[in-house]
This record gives sequence, structure tokens and C-alpha cells, in this order.
Amino acid sequence: MRSLALALWGLVLLVSSLSGRLDLLLSGAFHPLVALSGVLLLGLAALQLPAEFGARRRQPTPRSWWLSAAVALLVLAIAPNPSFSDLAANRPAELGEEAELSFLLPPAQRSLTDWVRLLRSQPDPSLYAGDPVRISGFVWPQAGDRPQLARLLVRCCLADATPVGLPLRWPAGPLPKADQWLAVQGTMAVEEHNGQSRSVVVAERIRPIPRPRRPLEP
Amino acid sequence: MERLATAWAIFQGLLIEALPFLLIGVAIASLARWLSPGGRWLQRLPRHPLLGPLTGAALGFALPACECGNVPVARRLLAGGAPVETALGFLFAAPVLNPIVLASTWAAFPNQPWLLAARPGGALLLALLLACVLRLLPETALLTPALLEERRLSQPLAEVGLLERRTGLVGAVSPAPLPAKPSRPPLQEVLQHGSHEFLDLAALLVLGCVIAATVQTLLPRSWLLAVGGAPTLSVLSLMLLAVVVSVCSSVDAFLALGFAAQITPGALLAFLVLGPVVDLKLLGLFRVLLQPRAIALTAAAASVAVLVLGQWVNLLLL
Repeated sequence: MRSLALALWGLVLLVSSLSGRLDLLLSGAFHPLVALSGVLLLGLAALQLPAEFGARRRQPTPRSWWLSAAVALLVLAIAPNPSFSDLAANRPAELGEEAELSFLLPPAQRSLTDWVRLLRSQPDPSLYAGDPVRISGFVWPQAGDRPQLARLLVRCCLADATPVGLPLRWPAGPLPKADQWLAVQGTMAVEEHNGQSRSVVVAERIRPIPRPRRPLEP
Repeated sequence: MERLATAWAIFQGLLIEALPFLLIGVAIASLARWLSPGGRWLQRLPRHPLLGPLTGAALGFALPACECGNVPVARRLLAGGAPVETALGFLFAAPVLNPIVLASTWAAFPNQPWLLAARPGGALLLALLLACVLRLLPETALLTPALLEERRLSQPLAEVGLLERRTGLVGAVSPAPLPAKPSRPPLQEVLQHGSHEFLDLAALLVLGCVIAATVQTLLPRSWLLAVGGAPTLSVLSLMLLAVVVSVCSSVDAFLALGFAAQITPGALLAFLVLGPVVDLKLLGLFRVLLQPRAIALTAAAASVAVLVLGQWVNLLLL
């Protein structure tokens, strides 16, 4: 049972690495470490398999190993599929960093995260009015406001996901559903919100897209 | 249903991130067992109530692992007969006092030099305090029976109290000579032992991650940060956040960076000092070392100490 349990955990790490599930769970820095650990655990299991099955007297298996092996099987069977808007709703949307950006891309090439960082470092909406915008993200409903387009920043794993969102002026018609991934083209404008002026993206073209392969941003 | 899917994903994230570090810790512990069988040097570590924990904390610099990897190494120290003070000092201080964690703290807060001194200083103070408090318990009430049994094997009989012995002579005991130098165990046995340890810890890690993921999904984090400006409440809420979030000590500084602007400096320090010592994920792992009563005592003492530390920093800096 020992080799089997080790192999199961090794498989969990390796399958998560190879199937791209890690892109949904962890920051990229940890991916090689996870894959390497998976290979090591499988190797450890293979090394001990002959001795364990050749042994005349089998040792009883602790109950906790059966339980954790069952969890490993469940992890293998059920891929993670988090609701991004749910993750975003439970977390404060604060970056609190990047007071100055080291370089600036031309407006049409900035990602949603670039825009949010820029707006936080130089929060003067009039600077950006009229700039072209091409961004993608998921729909993040806001209490008492229109839904925003957002991304999740992850330093370590999903447990520390921090949302960043941009206010959008949606075209007339029904508002999009939460969690839907959209590519938006439009221009930056200025609007009054709660007595303060803020930058808002006026959406001109909206296209539904599948969730990107790497949905989390560093 | 969506909540459940999100909790499942957070659980997988926490677990898959922690497993490699657990493996590193078990690998270091197994390597120590192979290279230094019997761990004679472990028994020579200082027993002094102050020097012991300090030596343990210094070991953190030699063994750079975060808190998950620390538990198997601390277990190895205790099983090898190291003084309890040293092992506890290592267990509680090493997750902060190691090069990786200090470097990541510096990378996250280059413009707050006080934090770079206060975090390791606070962690060291906390480790000293916890080692002193836990030392008040007798070993039988502190360590788990399985660990205690393993520890007795590597302790000279003369050091074990009569009531704690399973074998040996009753009566006046002259300081017995140490047993002959044990031979290096076969590699297969070391692998077997290491695998056993890894699987035991993985089961406890699963438990800790289930609790952490559930609490995180049910408790909106904005509630915890809503009281950011109030000195005492902000320290308390960030302490609770550190316990709930359960991220690895090597990256928690980056997480703290996300809300450092909204909270008091004392609360920030409390988050960075308490998280590596007490969190939901760790409480499961501690079960291989400590008895439930000792874990409760650790959590209570650490919370009170960190609250006082946070308040004091707020008094100084606000």
C-alpha cells in the first residue's frame, strides 16, 4: 500500500502539471517544482514496490493513508473549476504597490492588469480619455454598480488571488453574466461616480472568448 | 454548487503547492538520518532554556524550508534525541529565519527597512517564548506517544525518568555509557522510513487544507480587512487572516503587500509573524509532533504574544 499511495500522490502532482491544471491553481514559479516532485514520488514508489510485495509479512496500513489515497483519487478525477467572480468577491481589490511603472506600453497593447496598474499609479482620468482599449477578462458583478471586467493576480496559489477590475460602460441590452470571459474593444472615457471622476472603458465591440489557458496573472 | 467548486479549487491549490515543500522537508530529515545515524550530535545540542531555542533558530539558516517542510525536520530532531528546547526553537523560528523567507520579505518591502529587522526579531522572540511555555509541560504531555517512543530509543537510559521507561532496570542508575556507535542504516530502510513519514504528513496536510479552503470560501476576506485602521482590531483581524489563509511563509510577504497600505504597521507585522507559526494547515501537521493540549497551548500563547507585539509596534509607529 505504501508504494501505491506514494505513486498516487506522484500521479496527482504529475497529472496536474502535464494537463495544464496548475495554470488554474498556482503561480508559474512553482510549476517546475511540482512536476519534479511528482517524478520523484513516482520514482520512490517504483524503487520500493519490489521489496514491499516480496515481503513475507505485510505491515497493516494506517487508516489515514486510505483516506488520503481516496482524496488523491478524487483530485485526479475532479478537475478544479473555480468560479472567478466568486473568488474575486471574497477578496479585497487592493494592489497597494507599483507606485511607479517601469515602462509603459502603447494604449492598444496594454492588458487589463497594465491598465489597472497605470490608473492606480497615475490616477488622473483626463490623461487617458480617448485612448484605444483592447482588453480581455471575466465579468465581475459589483454591488450597486455595473459589472466590471476583471482578472485575478496570484502570487502563490488560488488562496491568495487578488482581483483587479476596470469599470465598463456596457452597450445597451442585457448585461453579461458573471464569470463569462469577454474580449472588449473600446475607448477610455471619464465619468462621474459617487461624486468623483473615474476612468471607464466605453465598450464598442464585445466578443465572448473561452477561458484563457493561463487565466491567472502574476 | 459554485461555492463548492471554488472551495475544491482552493483546496487543490493549497495542497499541490505544499506537497513539494513537504517532500523537501522529509528528504532533508531522511538525509540527516542516513548521514548521521543515531544523531549523536543532536544530543550534544545545548539544553539551556535560552541557548537551546537560539541554536534551533540558527539551524533554520542551514535548512531553508518553509513551515510545511519544517515539521518533518523538527520531528527528526526530536526523534534523534535533540533537546526539546532546541527542536522547538527550530520548529517555530526557522520558517521565518531562513534565507528564502528573509529575501522574499525584503523583495516585497524594500522601502520598509524596519520590517526586515522586526519580522525575524519578532519570530525569534515568539519562538523563545513558545519554547519556554511548552517546556513547562512534561515530555509525555508534550510529544505524541509514537514520537516519544522513537525518542527514547536514542536517549541514554539515565536521562529517562523511571515512570517514562518501558524497559530497563529499576533502581539507582549510574550514568550509562552511550551505546556503541550505530551503523549507517541501509538505504532501502531510510527510503521506507521517509515514505512512511511523507504519507503520514500528507494525510494531515489534506485535513488542514480542507479546513483552510472551507473557511476561506465561507468567510469573505473583506470582512477581515474592514477594520484596517483601528489599531487593536486591525491586529486581531490580520492575525485571524494569517491563521485562515495558511499560505507558505516564503510567499506570505507578497500576499501582505496586497493590503499593506490599508492596515496599521502592527497588524502587518502580526500577520507576518503569526502565520508561519500557527495556521489552519499547520495545525494538522503539528499532530505528528505534539499532543492536542500542547497544540492548543501553542496557539493560545502565540496569539497573545503576537497581539502584544502588534500593539507595541502600533504604539511606537503610529
